[in-house]
Amino acid sequence: MTEIILEYISKILSNEQLEDELQAEDDLLGGGILDSLGMMKLILFIEEKFNVKVPPEDMTIENFMTVDHITTYLNKK
Amino acid sequence: MNFNWTKEQLEYKLKVIEFAKNHLNNDLVQKDLNCSFAADNWQKCAEFGIQQLAAPKSFGGQFDEIDILHATLAMEGLGYGCKDNGLPFSLNAQMWTVQMPISQFGTDFQKEKYLKGMASGKLIGSHALTEPNAGSDVFSMQTVAEKVDGGYILNGKKHLITLGPIADISLVFANARPKMGKWGITGFIVEKGTKGFNQSENMAKMGLRTVPIGELTFDNCFVPDENRLGAEGAGWGITTSTLEYDRCCILASQLGSMERQLDETVKFVKQRKQFGKSIGDFQSVSNRIANMKLRLETSRLLLYQVAWLKSQGKSAMMEAALLKLQLSESFVESSLDAIRCNGGRGYLTENEVERDLRDAVGGVLYAGTSDIQRNIISNLLGL
Repeated sequence: MTEIILEYISKILSNEQLEDELQAEDDLLGGGILDSLGMMKLILFIEEKFNVKVPPEDMTIENFMTVDHITTYLNKK
Repeated sequence: MNFNWTKEQLEYKLKVIEFAKNHLNNDLVQKDLNCSFAADNWQKCAEFGIQQLAAPKSFGGQFDEIDILHATLAMEGLGYGCKDNGLPFSLNAQMWTVQMPISQFGTDFQKEKYLKGMASGKLIGSHALTEPNAGSDVFSMQTVAEKVDGGYILNGKKHLITLGPIADISLVFANARPKMGKWGITGFIVEKGTKGFNQSENMAKMGLRTVPIGELTFDNCFVPDENRLGAEGAGWGITTSTLEYDRCCILASQLGSMERQLDETVKFVKQRKQFGKSIGDFQSVSNRIANMKLRLETSRLLLYQVAWLKSQGKSAMMEAALLKLQLSESFVESSLDAIRCNGGRGYLTENEVERDLRDAVGGVLYAGTSDIQRNIISNLLGL
């Protein structure tokens, strides 16, 4: 799951070419890796890829700050 | 995708049109000239049940749950029947950017206290997101919320806030965790009269003059914990989730306006005679009418597509951007065509043709400019 999300972000979503390889613990929104639209695209990808529904109230830093946070959140669902 | 409306939905739309035609079109030229808000018409809408469309039955709404398809069609009817474009605009602003988030994210206390009041027309709510230095890049906002014992202290300034000057409550977004950037954005419900909270006067503007728009300032304004909407940092999720509903319904009213505009223009060019025949017989005029119809129907398809997607609980990022771009730009173009078809008559304020153009221009700016919509579309295409 982590690898799939990392690959998606690295190849499809990144605003610019990343200086370093994306890590699972990198801050996606705060670190400027994703803008708001990119985060929405990522959530849509996750919903379709992993067949889950992400309600708006779950779109918080606790669940989406990093790829690690996302996988922890998805594993709880 | 199914564009078939139920008999009940279509009947309700007709009822809305009838209600709006009979009760909401009084003294509009004067109201526009004076930039005056029609508080009586706002209340009439509440009594009819318009604001109830954006609340569940348990908190003053019409249905058990908010029905986006029903609401879209109703707001289209309101735009058709009500010639004051400002009223549907301001109603939609409250319904989808204040009522809807409180309905989705609010506590029972907040729903009981605020949602019921707005659904019944007793309260007016504004949505305060934009700032002087945070427009299209809205999450770079500078208004902060410092956590203190029992609540938060808000400091900052919001501008271009629809209904801001007269609102009884404002849903204000501030950064409660500035070091965390966008993840710190948090929603707060601030009541009129709260110490340190100031609402400006209505600001003069080109169109939508019956809508009070102004600034809100927060100077060490204390807001209790119980008025925080959702979790700390949930502001981003709140705003992004309600944006597509907002676009859908505000634009539904604009679609209704475009249909009314087309019907009135067709009626005029048929009865207006020059050179011994109706001006609609001249191809230069009839081609304009055909273009207006094409814009109307392409906008309608996009609108219904977004409404349907939202009714299925699906994302509509691309579709909502296409809709916003197409419909808002179309309304401007068709408003200009309507004036051209009316000739000099259309230029005179008293004939209520030119007002649509002034009102339409706002549509290419608010809720994401046309430039931003094009950015979203191209981004989603992988550019």
